[in-house]
Amino acid sequence: MIPAEGTSRPPAPRGTAARPRGVAGRDITGLLFTAEMYGVQLDQLAAVLDVSEPRARAAAARWRARKDAESARLGPGAPWIWLTRAGLASCGLPYAPAAPALSRLAHIRAVIAVRLALESAHGYRAAGAYWRSERRLRARLGGRVGLREHLPDGEVHWPDDAPVPWAGECWAIEAELTRKTVSRTATIMLELLNRTGDYGCPAADVQVPGRPPRHARVLYLCSPAARPTVTRARRALGGAAARIEIRPLPPGAALEPAAGASR
Amino acid sequence: MISRWVSLLAVRAAARGALRLLRLAAGAAVIIAAAPVSLVGGAAVTAAWLRGWPPGRLYRAALCCLPMIAVWLAATAITAGSWRAVAEAPYLAWLAMWHRGAAGSYASAAAVIGPAAIPLGLLAGGLAWSYRIRSMETGSGGLSPGSAVAFDLRQWRHQVRSARARISAPGSVPLTAQNGAVVAGAVIRAVNHQPGTIASIPYRRMRSHQVVVGTTGTGKTTLLLRLWAGFMATTLRRHAAGQGAPPLLVVLDCKGGADARRIADRARRVLRAAGARSTAIWPDEASLSLWALPPRQLTTTLLDLIEHGTGAAAYYADVMEAVVALAVEAPCGPPASSADFLARLDPGWLNLAYAAGGHDADIALVRSAARQFGDIALRFRTLFRRLGPGLDGPGGFGDADAWYCILEGTAEISVAEGQARALVDLLASYAAGQPGAVQPGAGQPGAGQPGAVQPGAGQPGAVQPGAGGQPGAGKPGGRRAREILLAVDEFSAVSRRLPIWQLYERARSLGLAVQVSAQSWQGLAADEDERYRIAASADGGIWLLRTPHPEPVTGLAGTRKLVDTTRRLLGVPVWGHQGSSRIRQAPVADPALIRSLDVGQVAYIYRGGVTFIQVKRLVGGPAALSGAVSPAAPTTGLTAADQPARGLLNGRSADGRSPTAPVPGESDSMRAAGSRSPVAPAHGESGPPPASWPVPPAPRRQLADAGEFLDEAFGPEESP
Repeated sequence: MIPAEGTSRPPAPRGTAARPRGVAGRDITGLLFTAEMYGVQLDQLAAVLDVSEPRARAAAARWRARKDAESARLGPGAPWIWLTRAGLASCGLPYAPAAPALSRLAHIRAVIAVRLALESAHGYRAAGAYWRSERRLRARLGGRVGLREHLPDGEVHWPDDAPVPWAGECWAIEAELTRKTVSRTATIMLELLNRTGDYGCPAADVQVPGRPPRHARVLYLCSPAARPTVTRARRALGGAAARIEIRPLPPGAALEPAAGASR
Repeated sequence: MISRWVSLLAVRAAARGALRLLRLAAGAAVIIAAAPVSLVGGAAVTAAWLRGWPPGRLYRAALCCLPMIAVWLAATAITAGSWRAVAEAPYLAWLAMWHRGAAGSYASAAAVIGPAAIPLGLLAGGLAWSYRIRSMETGSGGLSPGSAVAFDLRQWRHQVRSARARISAPGSVPLTAQNGAVVAGAVIRAVNHQPGTIASIPYRRMRSHQVVVGTTGTGKTTLLLRLWAGFMATTLRRHAAGQGAPPLLVVLDCKGGADARRIADRARRVLRAAGARSTAIWPDEASLSLWALPPRQLTTTLLDLIEHGTGAAAYYADVMEAVVALAVEAPCGPPASSADFLARLDPGWLNLAYAAGGHDADIALVRSAARQFGDIALRFRTLFRRLGPGLDGPGGFGDADAWYCILEGTAEISVAEGQARALVDLLASYAAGQPGAVQPGAGQPGAGQPGAVQPGAGQPGAVQPGAGGQPGAGKPGGRRAREILLAVDEFSAVSRRLPIWQLYERARSLGLAVQVSAQSWQGLAADEDERYRIAASADGGIWLLRTPHPEPVTGLAGTRKLVDTTRRLLGVPVWGHQGSSRIRQAPVADPALIRSLDVGQVAYIYRGGVTFIQVKRLVGGPAALSGAVSPAAPTTGLTAADQPARGLLNGRSADGRSPTAPVPGESDSMRAAGSRSPVAPAHGESGPPPASWPVPPAPRRQLADAGEFLDEAFGPEESP
């Protein structure tokens, strides 16, 4: 059984047991979400906090005043908010503080949209599923030599006792915006399907024949441009294709007015 | 005349005194004038003395300051706008320092002179420290005759303290270096070796023969575990990078007993942390199949396991050889187990087996030896009972990343001797069967004989030590090549049937690296010639821990030239300034120092140099808990070997088999056994998928349909 690191979002990392003075529960939710996703655009932050955009802007301003976050208009669309070193420290998250990279803005937005869409589904909430972000996975790997593993954009852990038929599973989430080659996509699919160890485990445990796979299935959320490639790559897998789910990216996943660079 | 002579002496003495005072005053003036440099130099020498650093470390520190000087001079040039100012910068800084110091702003004074004073001070400190060390080494320094000895002992203590501090700092001593070298610990002292802080052994040397000598309780096991784990981690990393074959570590612990079991458990945990997927402990938890040997080799091995007499008994030996050959090389194939073999030691069985025609000579042989069959069967039945089930399979060396073989060389010497011989034959057969290795000449005269040098030694295609990525490695369809390290501990206790130097030669020819360890020089081999042969051919170096008789090994390190200075003793304990020097030869590895090594300290002797190392102890994971043995586990030969630990970590496997059970196609023993394998192949062996498209493991259960949920979250899946 793959251990989930928490139940439903947001997890309570170490160091956050005591709520900082003057921080509301909704703020904590937003701060943790922002920290896990590298950064978030204001409209998506409003969706996370389940408030209007002006109120989300006010929340961001509060974070900035406490020096927990920074915001700037990094690309097209709404401004981006990300956590500073102090903000990450107050969340108890060991991540390196940095503004979202310009080359990844579109991808980050797409992944956030996927997470929000998943979390809005009834089954997800009822199951108390847990989203494990790419940033968390990357932090587990640390700066180790040999970091050539492909990291999914996120993992969804379904608790064992969840009232869904796939309880106990771990899903890998991939948001695809641009077209890769079929072989590259198939290789990534195979790596995800073959993986048996957790991220950050000893190298010998990454793929151990005979052990249960880490990811019961891989969920691809594709832009219209990437969809044919992903579909062909899945077809090339043969019997393992049954463990690949392909769906379109949810509305609002694209960076307005047009997606720039992506992964 | 006398008064004039006396007055002359007085004048000379006064002049000498005045000259000495003048020198002292001049020296003091220089030291005061260059106060910042003197301060830094003094601090550097004090630090070097306290930490036992070599002078080179101070020189390197001074070199590291060069960028600071460059930036300082560049800033000066840019500020002043002329190159002349650069030339004057040190002098001006010196003046400014004094002025600011006089004004009471000491921090500002230090900042002004720092860029020039720090590197110069380090350099001066390095020179002074070097002079001090050399004068003490040569005996020309110190105030008393015992100064040099006291200085050396004090420096040793300081160096040990520094090394211990280094290994106790978390993360300061990794298992392997970035270049793949195996890190043993922190350097205490190096003689004729490159000094450094971390003692690392290049991987190439780990693939060569090594010798480890040290008495009980000196940290030999800790050192060996570290070397094994380093070998495992480095080889796995090289293999992952496509630079070599996967590792195979085989340890023959020839002492046995409860201590061996404890070490085996520790080794398993340490190796697991280093990346080894499975460690088999033979014969307690895993088995090997003697019957996987090629028929000719099997015949030879079986015969060598039986004691033979000489003289008239040679007749019975010949009869036995003929009968065993008939049983093993029967037309229906070699035996698959000891029971199968014993069943064949029957005239009726052999007559039936050879009755197919064309075997008249063999049938005649069976008839003539019919009277001996009972005795031969009795001897082999006794042999198999004594050897136990450990060699009756199934299983092979290819089934695990590491094998820890325990031979009861103390309690049951004769049994252990037989087991050692069989294990070495099995390993040799396994190594010879690797891609790129020339097959041993089964059937050729001498092949399989104890000590026979297998064909392929030095020939193209033979797997050579250190040759990462051997030809044939990873070839589809063939057995996977392995980088093999054979570690034998106290092998001399069980080497009657296979002299250890023959093991050495045999291993060399097959591309195995052999690591021989013993508690003493005498424990290395039976006689002095063998010992020297083993020690002299240790291309990978000799590890010498505390031992009461280190001279034979330290002698192999050779000598070095030292200047020996004699001085006049003016009075106790005052030395004069007159004397003479001569060059003498001193041992590179001081035997007295070896005798006084503490626990965890080792001298690594290699190429005429020695490095004293404080070994960093490896801490493995928690001990394995006992658990239920899966009935399917024996299919691999690894019975309960590492199921508990792996089971705890990973739970059940996909199809309910033991987690240790390799997937179909993984077990080399199965491949080797072929159709006569006693184990039925598991599912899915009909055809391996292409290497580039590995079949992903199946999930533990049938996947539930999540379509409805995904449709709700993302909408329905569209056709492209």
